Parts: sequence; C-alpha cells; structure tokens
Amino acid sequence: MRLTKIINWKMKHVWFLLLLLAVPASRPAQAQVDLTGEWSPRVYNDHMDIGDYTGIPLNEAGRLRAESWHPEQLDLPENLCRPHPIDIGLRVSVSQLRITTELDNETRQPVGLRLHVAWQEPEQVIYLDGRPHPSANAPHKWSGFSTGHWERNTLVYTTDHLKEAYLTRTGVPKSDKATVTTRVRRYGNILTITFIINDPAYLTEPYIRESSWVYDPNQVIAPFPCEITPDGTIIPEGKVPSFLPGKNDILNDFATEYGIPPESASGGAETLYPEYIKKMKTMKVAPRTTTEHYKRTQ
Amino acid sequence: MAGPRRPAMSTPMDRVFLVAALSLFASANLAAQRPGDAQGARPTTARAAAPDDLTGYWVSIVTEMWRYRMLVPDKGDYVKVPLNPEGRKVADAWDPAKDQASGNACKSYGAAAILQVPGRLHIYWQDDNTLRMDTDSGTQTRLFRFGGSPPPNEPPTWQGYSVAMWRGDEPRDRRDGQGGPVQDSTGRLVIAQPQRKDADYLKVVTTHMRPGYLQKNGVPYSGNAIVEEYFDRFSDPYTHNTWLSVTTVISDPQYLIEPLITHAHFKKISDSSGWDPTPCRADEPR
Repeated sequence: MRLTKIINWKMKHVWFLLLLLAVPASRPAQAQVDLTGEWSPRVYNDHMDIGDYTGIPLNEAGRLRAESWHPEQLDLPENLCRPHPIDIGLRVSVSQLRITTELDNETRQPVGLRLHVAWQEPEQVIYLDGRPHPSANAPHKWSGFSTGHWERNTLVYTTDHLKEAYLTRTGVPKSDKATVTTRVRRYGNILTITFIINDPAYLTEPYIRESSWVYDPNQVIAPFPCEITPDGTIIPEGKVPSFLPGKNDILNDFATEYGIPPESASGGAETLYPEYIKKMKTMKVAPRTTTEHYKRTQ
Repeated sequence: MAGPRRPAMSTPMDRVFLVAALSLFASANLAAQRPGDAQGARPTTARAAAPDDLTGYWVSIVTEMWRYRMLVPDKGDYVKVPLNPEGRKVADAWDPAKDQASGNACKSYGAAAILQVPGRLHIYWQDDNTLRMDTDSGTQTRLFRFGGSPPPNEPPTWQGYSVAMWRGDEPRDRRDGQGGPVQDSTGRLVIAQPQRKDADYLKVVTTHMRPGYLQKNGVPYSGNAIVEEYFDRFSDPYTHNTWLSVTTVISDPQYLIEPLITHAHFKKISDSSGWDPTPCRADEPR
C-alpha cells in the first residue's frame, strides 16, 4: 500500500522531472569553439627596419631604449637562443601554430589550451579552470602566466609574469610590467588573434595588433634545436653593442628610405590617427634620391 | 465509497513544485531570447537579431601597415601582397595621374581596401535589414544587406553588392578525423552535425565590384574578386574603449596566388567630431 502511494506520488510529479530535463536544452548553446589543430600563418610583418617604430604608441622611455638598440646584440651568446615571448613570437617570427587541449597531469581532465609556436618552440598554457594568477613576486617567464575565459565564441586570456622582451625584431622594448590581453576567434578556417599589449613602462596607451592563421591539418612543425657555438660569437666577450643617446647613425635610414618625416617614424599615439596625415605634410622629409629603395622603385 | 475528489495541486508540497517549475521554465526562456526579442519569438529582422550594436562613429587606429596606409607607397612596393605575375605587371604600370584624369580616382577606395584607408566610419541602420556604413575618406557608402543574394545583372560598383549575416558557427573544414565535415555520397564535404553557436559577429560577403586597388600604389584586384569580412566588437580591459576589429579576406584568382588577409581596427568615438569628408584622390593616402 505504501509502495503504491509512493509510485502514485512520483507519477504525479513526472511532469516536473521532464520540465527539469527540458531546461538545459532550451538554454543557448555554450560558446566553446574548437580552436585546436594546426594553423598556418598569414602574417605580414611590420617593423623589419631599424628606426621603424611606426604605429607604436611609444613613450619617451621606450623610444630611448629602442634607439640605443644595436643589431649586433642579436649575436651576443646569451641572445643566440633567446626565445620571444609567445605573444611576440606569434607575430614576429616564423609562426606556425599548434593548439592542443591541456590536460591535468593527475586527473587527465581538460584544464585549458596549449599553444606551440615553431620558432624557438615557445609554449603557452592558457588555464581555463579558474585558477588565480601567482603572486606578484613569482618568477617571470618567457611565456608568462595566462588565464582565460570565453566571451561568447571568443577565447579571451590575460598574460602577466612576462620577462622583459621586444615588441619588434629591431629592439623596441616591452617591459616585464607589461600584460597582454589576447582574443582568439575562429571564422571557419581562419583564426584571428588580437593582441592588446599594455605596458606602463614603455607605452602611452595599449597597443593593438592582429594576425591570422589558416587551418592546415597537414602542417608539420619541425623541431627547432638551438645551441650556442662553443667558439662563441663574433662579438668579443664582455662587449654589449649599443648606441649612446643621439649617436645612432643608422636611426634615420628607414625614414629617409621611405620618405617619412623622422619624427613620424619614431611612433607615438598621435601618429596612429587619420588626422596625423595632414600634420605630416608640414614636416620635413630628407631627400630620397640616393636611397636604394627609392632607386629600385623608379 | 470514494471520498470527495481533491483538487489538483492541493498540498503545500505540490505548490512548491509548481512555483519552482514555472520559475525554471521562465528563466530558461529568458536566457534563450535574442536581443530585441522581448516576447521570446524569433526576431524577424536583422536589426532585431543583432547580437552586437555596431552603429555609431568609429575612427581608424593605424598600428599596422603604417607606412602603406598613412603614406602613398612607392610604385612597385607590394612585398606584403601575394601577387601573381599578372598582378605584378599591373601594379608596376600604376599611374596615379592617369587614374585621376580618367575618373578612376576611387580605385583605392573600393570595398576590398576602404577599411585600410585611414578615416572615420559612421555605421547605422538604413532600414531593418540594411546596415549602412559611410566613410569620410573618399566619401563612400557601403550597404550590408541581410538576406537574399545579389540580383542578376547587378552592375559593378566601387563598393559592390554586400550580403550580410550574423554568424557564430563557422564550421571548419576539418579533415583530420576529429569531427566536422564528412564526405557525402557524391564525395562532397558536408557538415554532418554542425555545432550550433549563437551569433556573435557580422560576416559580409561582397561581390560585383569594379576593379580596384588593394593599396594606394596601384596593387590591383579584379572585378571577379570576392571579399569576405568579419566584424567583431569588443571592449579592451585597460582603457575600456570599445573597438571594432575587421578581418578581411580577399580572394582574386586573377591577380593573387592565394587569398590576402588584412586587418583593421577602429575605436568608437562619441560623435561626428573629426569627420572630414574627402573626395577620392589617386595620389593621397586618404
């Protein structure tokens, strides 16, 4: 008799259970897009010339550091195998990209995504499991520490604890105080990554730039072994090539080569806006007739 | 003898169940509604279905390809464009004076390149299914039409015919056995079970363009080019400025060896201040 009563009660409330089951189905689809796979770069790199700081909202300190950079610094033994942080590596180096799911070592449950880039093989784990960032005193690394979340179909992650590095291959600095917010989104076979770099030491405002990759399941990322030659490099031991302030004799070559006012080539927030084009017309440009680029294009 | 029949939901427990169930049902439906969908019905216009508000004034922030955009590059400087030999030949023959004189000064303001030209945008709804974009540089107008396709015999124009759609699920052409497309009986790749994602960006496909330039220095695209654009609006966490990021994919078998992908981003501004309409000019950056 008691059993019958229980069954009757349960039957009467089946509608409620069915309703409970129906609730998740009527919610919007969760926004976790599959970003994993092999991605081939379509990166059209800027800033390949010394003295080209165009489009970068540099402050005075950043400009001073950039102008003191000497290309022979690349040949210092400690720099031969120095990787770029991954946010820079994705942009300025050979940037074939592989994205895989990161699993917890013990539970084998997904905790985030892992990015692997070809040149110097930097890797970056983006934790999506809600863990906090380490203390401000924790060591800084080439790929920093990243946590992310989904904003609808876009992966958004923030990286801090980065070592000092460069924004370009030509010595524009990025400090270890910088944080980078990265937005990753997929448009079919195209992956677009937006980097928002905030560096209170060397930038006057966040610096935004974007790159895209194309899905390429057959891509092979070769190993990138790097070792310092036992005989050292062409730079004598103990020497650090650099330019003292005002003594960089190759600084203006880029501006002259392309007919840009030197002041404009040195970047700054004002130079990013359309109205700056009018101002440039009032500025001096060095004669171009002797430059190689100019001669080539005539 | 049967006793008096109890009305349904007469016990306190029953009433608790009823209230809980109705609350859950209501909250689920509210969550599933799209913007502008107060009654829970599917929006019938593109404007009502918009997942983001792209309207307003926007200004270019030129952090990339600066010397190609803020200046007129030299003839023959097309190192960042995957031109084929025919494309290079056309680019090497660029003559801005001739373009200006022949009424072709707008060639570098066409749909494939207009967002690379530094300037301001004004985006607004022309009607419920047409999003309009005016540019001050070159004084151009683009119409993003939701639904339908280009009419037959649509004449080519600088801005072409743009079909727009709100998208969220762009199925990837996966061939690595991890899901995505499978081959149907004819061998065609089809999406067996596409993931449904709520729309969160604008996709625009433009065709029927007059031949134009990808860069100010005469790097060509043909009248057969197809332009796909993806518009994403976001806020940056440092300044809380609102941004519009546009990824553009230009496919043109006549002049390109592979699609060219470009990027442009715009910062939202509060009003039309700084709006500076210019005519098309063949020898000016904007």
